[in-house]
Amino acid sequence: MPRMTDARSGPIVAMPPESDRDPDAGVLQHERELAAYRVRGSGHGHAVLAAAACYLAAAAFLGICLFPLYIVVTTAIKNQRDVFAWPPLWSFHPTLANFYDALFVFGGQGALTFVINSVVVTVASTLLSVGLGSMAAYGLARFSFPGRKQLAFWILSTRFAPPIAFVVPLYLMALELNLLDTRLALVLIYTSMNLSLVIWLLRGFYREIPIEIEEAALVDGYSRVHIFLRIATPLIRPGIVTSAVLSAVFSWNEFIFASVLTQTKAATLPVYLSGFSNAMGMAWGPYMAVGVIAVVPIATITIALQRQLVRGLTFGAIR
Amino acid sequence: MPLDREAKRTAWLLIGPAVLVLLALNIYPTFYAFDISLYYWRLAGLQPRRFIGFQNYQLLFSDDRFLHSILVSIEFVVLAVGIEFVLGLGLAFVFNTRLPGLATIRKLSMLPVMLMPLVSGLVWFYMFNENFGVVNWFVSLILGHRVPFLTSRHLALGTIVVADAWQWTPFIMFVMFAALQALPEYVYEAARMDGLSDWQILWRVTVPLLRPAIMIVVVIRVVDALRMIELVFMMTKGGGGTEVLPWYLYSTAFISMNLGYAAAMAVLFIIMVSILSQLLIRRLAADQV
Repeated sequence: MPRMTDARSGPIVAMPPESDRDPDAGVLQHERELAAYRVRGSGHGHAVLAAAACYLAAAAFLGICLFPLYIVVTTAIKNQRDVFAWPPLWSFHPTLANFYDALFVFGGQGALTFVINSVVVTVASTLLSVGLGSMAAYGLARFSFPGRKQLAFWILSTRFAPPIAFVVPLYLMALELNLLDTRLALVLIYTSMNLSLVIWLLRGFYREIPIEIEEAALVDGYSRVHIFLRIATPLIRPGIVTSAVLSAVFSWNEFIFASVLTQTKAATLPVYLSGFSNAMGMAWGPYMAVGVIAVVPIATITIALQRQLVRGLTFGAIR
Repeated sequence: MPLDREAKRTAWLLIGPAVLVLLALNIYPTFYAFDISLYYWRLAGLQPRRFIGFQNYQLLFSDDRFLHSILVSIEFVVLAVGIEFVLGLGLAFVFNTRLPGLATIRKLSMLPVMLMPLVSGLVWFYMFNENFGVVNWFVSLILGHRVPFLTSRHLALGTIVVADAWQWTPFIMFVMFAALQALPEYVYEAARMDGLSDWQILWRVTVPLLRPAIMIVVVIRVVDALRMIELVFMMTKGGGGTEVLPWYLYSTAFISMNLGYAAAMAVLFIIMVSILSQLLIRRLAADQV
C-alpha cells in the first residue's frame, strides 16, 4: 500500500486556511483590522505615514517593472530616426513598419519562419513533456516500489544541471545522428529539460487526490491505465495547465541550445534576436518588434496564471 | 493499491518513457562530456582528435581566464541574488499589508519574470546605450554627462546585475509574499500577548518561520543565476569584466571550437552546481516523502 498522502504534508509552507487562500477575494472585516494593525507599526499616529510609504514603494516598484516593457513597445513603433533621438522622444508618430520589416523583409528572410519554428517546437515539446511527465508523476505518486524516493529526487536533480554544460555533448550527439538544424532535436532536448519540473509538480497534485476514489474504481474493475487517464488526471487540471504553461514558456524562451543546434531551417525566435549584434546595432526598431512578438503571449499567460506559476516555479513547495 | 503483477507492469509503463528520455539526454551526455574532456578535440581543427588523459583539467587549473570567470560568476550571483532578495523580501512585507489596490499592482509586477531573457537583454542594452539610451539620459540630467555603462570595466557587470534584478525581484517578492500569507495568525496573537514589540516579532517569529521558503527561493535563484548567459550575450559579449563561466564555456566551445577543453569545463561546472543543489534537495527531502 502506498502511504496515504495528507494534502498538507506535501508543501513546506503549510496551506493557509481557505479564507486566506485568495487574498484578493473580498477582504473580511477581521482581515481589515489585521491589515490596519500590520500597517500601523508602533504607534497609531504613524498609520497614515506607513500606508503612504507602502503605496509609494509599491508604485515605484510597478513603475520600474513596467518601464522597460514600455520601452520595448514604443521602440517597436518608432521610425528609424526617432529610435536614435537624443534626448529620447516621449511623443512621436507611431508606425507599424517595423513589424512588417521584421516579419517579411529584414535580413533577407524575415522572422516569420522563426516564429513558426518557435510555435511548432514549443507545442510539440510541451505536449511531450506533459504527456510523459504526467505518466511518470502518477507512477511515482501511486505505486510504491523500492527506490521510489531516490528515483524522484534523481529526477528533481536533473533540473539543476546547468544547460550550458550539456551543449558540447548534445551538439556532438546531434551531429552524429544527423539531427543538426532540425526541430526534432530541439523538441527532444526541451522535453528532457522540462520533465523534472513537470514530474515533480504533478506528483504533488496526484498525491492530493483522496486515494479512496481510485480504490473504489479499482474495485469496480477499471484498469489502472483507465483510472490514470479518465479519473485521476481530469481531477488535477490546474496542475496540468500550470506545468504545460511553464514548459511552454521554457521552450519558447530557450536560447543556448537553439543557437548551437540550429542554423536556418529550424531556428527559433531567440536565434533571430541573437542576430542583433550582426545587424551592426542599427535595426533597433525591427528587433524590438520581434521582441514584442516574443513577449506578448508570455505576458498574457503570466498575468492570467501568476499565483499558480509561483507554485510551479518552486516545484510545489510554495503556493 | 496492492502491487500485483499488473500494477508492477503499469508502474514501469508509466515511469519508463520519462526515465528513458532523461537517461538519453541527461545522464548519457554527462558521461559523454567526461569522455570528450579526455581528448584534444577541436572542431574544424587541423589536428585530428587524440586522447590526452587529464591534461585539459590540468590546463584549466592554471588558466587564469577560467579562474577569473568563476570569480566573475560568483560576484554576479552574490550581487544579483543579494539585491533581488533584499528588495523582494521588503516588497513582500509591503504587499502583505493588503492595503486596497496593492493586489492589482502585485499582479502586474509579475510581468518581467517569464519574459524571454534575450528581450530583457535587448531592452537593457538599448536603455544603457551611451548615445541614445534612456538610462543615460536620466544619468546625464543628474551628473551632467553620459556614462559608458556597457563598456566600462567597473560598470558593465553592474548593468547585467540591474537587468537580472529587474527580471527576478518580482519572483522573490511573489514567493515571499505567498510564504507570509501562509504564516498562521495565532502565532502572532500569542507573541503580542507575550508583549513582544513589532521589531522582536519580526526577528523572533516571522523570519524563523520564513526560513524554509527563503532557503528554497535563494537556492533556486543562485542555481539559475549561475547559468545565466543571455544577458551577457546581448549586452556585453563578455567584455568589460563580464566574462561569467557560462560565457567562457560557450566561447571556448563555439568560437574557439575547442570542444575537449570546453567539456572539461562543463564537467567541473556540473560538479559545482550539483554540490549546491544538494542543499535544496536535502531541504525538500526533509519535508516531503
